[in-house]
Amino acid sequence: MKNMEEIKEEKHNKRFSKEWYNKYYKILFLIPVLFLFISLIYLGYFYSKNGDFIYKDVSLSGGTSLTINGEVSQEILEPELKLIFPDVSFTHLSELTSKKQIALRIESSASPEDLKKEVETILGYSLTEDNSSVEFTGSSLSKDFYKQLIIALIISFILMSIVIFILFKSFVPSIAVIFAAFADIVISLAVIDYLGIKISAAGIAAFLMLLGYSVDTDILLTSRALKSQEKPLNSRIFGAFKTGIFMTLTALAAVVPAFFLITGLPDSFRQIFLVLSIGLTADIFNTWLTNAGIIKWYCDKKKIQ
Amino acid sequence: MKIGVRIWILIIALFLAFLAIAPWKTLEKGVLVQSVEQNSSAFEEGLRKGQIITMIDGNSIESLEDFSKIILEKNYSNEKIKTLIKTNAGEFIIYSNESLGITVSSLPNTNLKTGLDLSGGSRALIKAKEKDLSSNEVSDLIDVITNRLNVYGIADVQIVPVSDLSGNNFVSIEIAGATPKDLEELISKQGKFESKIGNKTVFIGGEEDIASVCRNDATCARIEGCFDAQGGGYFCNFRFSIYLSQVAAERHAEITKDMPVNSTPQGNYLSEKLDLYLDDVLVDSLLISEGLKGRVTTQIAISGSGSGENKEDAINSAEEQMHKLQTVLITGSLPYKLEVVKLDTISPSLGKEFTKNIFLLGGVVFLIISIILFVKYKKIKITLSVILTMFSEAFLTLGIAALISWNLDAPSIAGIIAGMGTGVNDQIVILDESTSNTSISVKERIKRALFIIFGAFFTIIAAMLPLFWAGAGMLKGFALTTIISVTVGILITRPAFAEIVRRIQD
Repeated sequence: MKNMEEIKEEKHNKRFSKEWYNKYYKILFLIPVLFLFISLIYLGYFYSKNGDFIYKDVSLSGGTSLTINGEVSQEILEPELKLIFPDVSFTHLSELTSKKQIALRIESSASPEDLKKEVETILGYSLTEDNSSVEFTGSSLSKDFYKQLIIALIISFILMSIVIFILFKSFVPSIAVIFAAFADIVISLAVIDYLGIKISAAGIAAFLMLLGYSVDTDILLTSRALKSQEKPLNSRIFGAFKTGIFMTLTALAAVVPAFFLITGLPDSFRQIFLVLSIGLTADIFNTWLTNAGIIKWYCDKKKIQ
Repeated sequence: MKIGVRIWILIIALFLAFLAIAPWKTLEKGVLVQSVEQNSSAFEEGLRKGQIITMIDGNSIESLEDFSKIILEKNYSNEKIKTLIKTNAGEFIIYSNESLGITVSSLPNTNLKTGLDLSGGSRALIKAKEKDLSSNEVSDLIDVITNRLNVYGIADVQIVPVSDLSGNNFVSIEIAGATPKDLEELISKQGKFESKIGNKTVFIGGEEDIASVCRNDATCARIEGCFDAQGGGYFCNFRFSIYLSQVAAERHAEITKDMPVNSTPQGNYLSEKLDLYLDDVLVDSLLISEGLKGRVTTQIAISGSGSGENKEDAINSAEEQMHKLQTVLITGSLPYKLEVVKLDTISPSLGKEFTKNIFLLGGVVFLIISIILFVKYKKIKITLSVILTMFSEAFLTLGIAALISWNLDAPSIAGIIAGMGTGVNDQIVILDESTSNTSISVKERIKRALFIIFGAFFTIIAAMLPLFWAGAGMLKGFALTTIISVTVGILITRPAFAEIVRRIQD
């Protein structure tokens, strides 16, 4: 039994110590870095156009979110509401199995009273707590929320970096992990902006989690590359890749359905899973091309084989 | 198979979580008393908030519908009718002519509490307009609002101070279930306080008529003494001073100067009481001692009592009553204008849909992860142990949430699911480390896996920690459940899982 495994492993080692990674890792390393640059440029352009790095939803920009239960038609509401509230936007919430609409969410910077009154006039019935939900955030509070969440994100990033430095106690490998986490955030932001998705307070909170969530594959990679030296470096990196990619895929399996399959979930819930889905996907590239490239270069230089 | 210490710890933890969540409560029948009107005969008979009504007039009550049906059939009119209520705290016979004066809700299925976004209800965040409140001012504000909501008849309400990273102080108000129509007005209106003798106003709340109220000062606000009550229990008297303005004092003299005096065993008091109103609702009636008749006195002693089953309860009750009164007198009219900065009203029926979908989602995720794991490891034992560990982690997190009465809102549940994701990740690391390198011992390999796991653990804690303070604590739940779940993982489930893997491989 053990013999079989040893033979298998030898084959495996042979396969993965192939020279091609030595040759191409620098090019592979550049792919996500290029993405990062494009993302940074895009975010700069986005900022100059919109005055901010994201599209904020009403919880961060101030305003009202009105959710009306049942199959309320957007077609009837939209033209009339647009005249009075130019910034109004709509989201459909539907069931998983039947795809039946369970509610329609209307968002606008207007006050709850104004928006409700207008919708009631158009629909011809009054909105009560039995048939609707109203969420209102004042503009000063939402500005504060936004500012604080950004500060929280920065603190989170710093704390995470400290933990990484303590863990590895050497500069280049730690910076590689931190760089990958930074790239995760920047690329995800650019993708979310490109898709035109509005971010809520919960969405920003999800970026904090992404920091914690995405670095475990980087830690796996770095510790395998630096610590266990019974096998050749390339083989260790590929071994880590096999474990790590499987980890990220199961994590994605846990978060992607929430965003893509079910829309009838609280908005905070969907936001969290949207950010994690995009962020973890970006993390696959940032960990296994960028971070792995840096570690490979570092080990070659330090003669860690 | 011999079970090791680590697996035993997991089993015991799971058992404790089961006790904390108390899922057997689903089987309990009855309705929960949410509030009992003071001065109602139900209150006098001893019916209290938190008791469970199981039977009315011999008909068993299993649900809210049963309760409503029976109350409707009772047809309360002008004549007093008898109602026999059986609760978990004994039987009560109540004679009343209007309604029973109680509100009830259905029994909770477990000790788990869901947040407003899943159960419906309303949440408001208020702060003072153009003024930064100190923490003392915030706690005064909370007293006023709590008092006011109680007077209004809202029982199931949570009011807590919230501060954020920028040093803002807010008051957060959460009301479960039905939302009062004029909630916004109720919590942010300045409020009207009036004190009347008969129908004549003596003084109103606020600086104009009340110069000051003595509180937190034993020389002019204290518990005077405790006594055995007739028929068991204790009662304690309290007394505190308030200082009226000159104008209000003269008004008082004018109104009381011709009033007759009643002699009672407790002392001599004027024939009419001093009634305190808040927003036109009677809050309390005070006896006026004989000595104050017709006098221009600025100092008035206000007294009352509290009762309880033992002396300690009676003292607490008296102190609470005193505090309540002092609060009413000081802040009958709020000292500052309030601003509602956030107001959410969530329809309970939408919350139900959300909950249903979250369960569905849980099922889908569970299925997908099981399939992926089985495809990768091709061993039923390993797949099962990963999945069981994942569930244990979620269950233990829920147990802790039940224990600390945490309201599980949507971000909290997202935190649990994300926590399950990191848990599975860690188990994959353990599995792969333990199978990857056969030249070193299993123990050493698991040690290496633990380095990675601990690294991941500390980074996620570091990353989530700032959420406790940002955004007025609205996303605290997300950070809390994530941290609980990864901590449970590191302390309980991961060690147990490592042991299971070792046994499977040996």
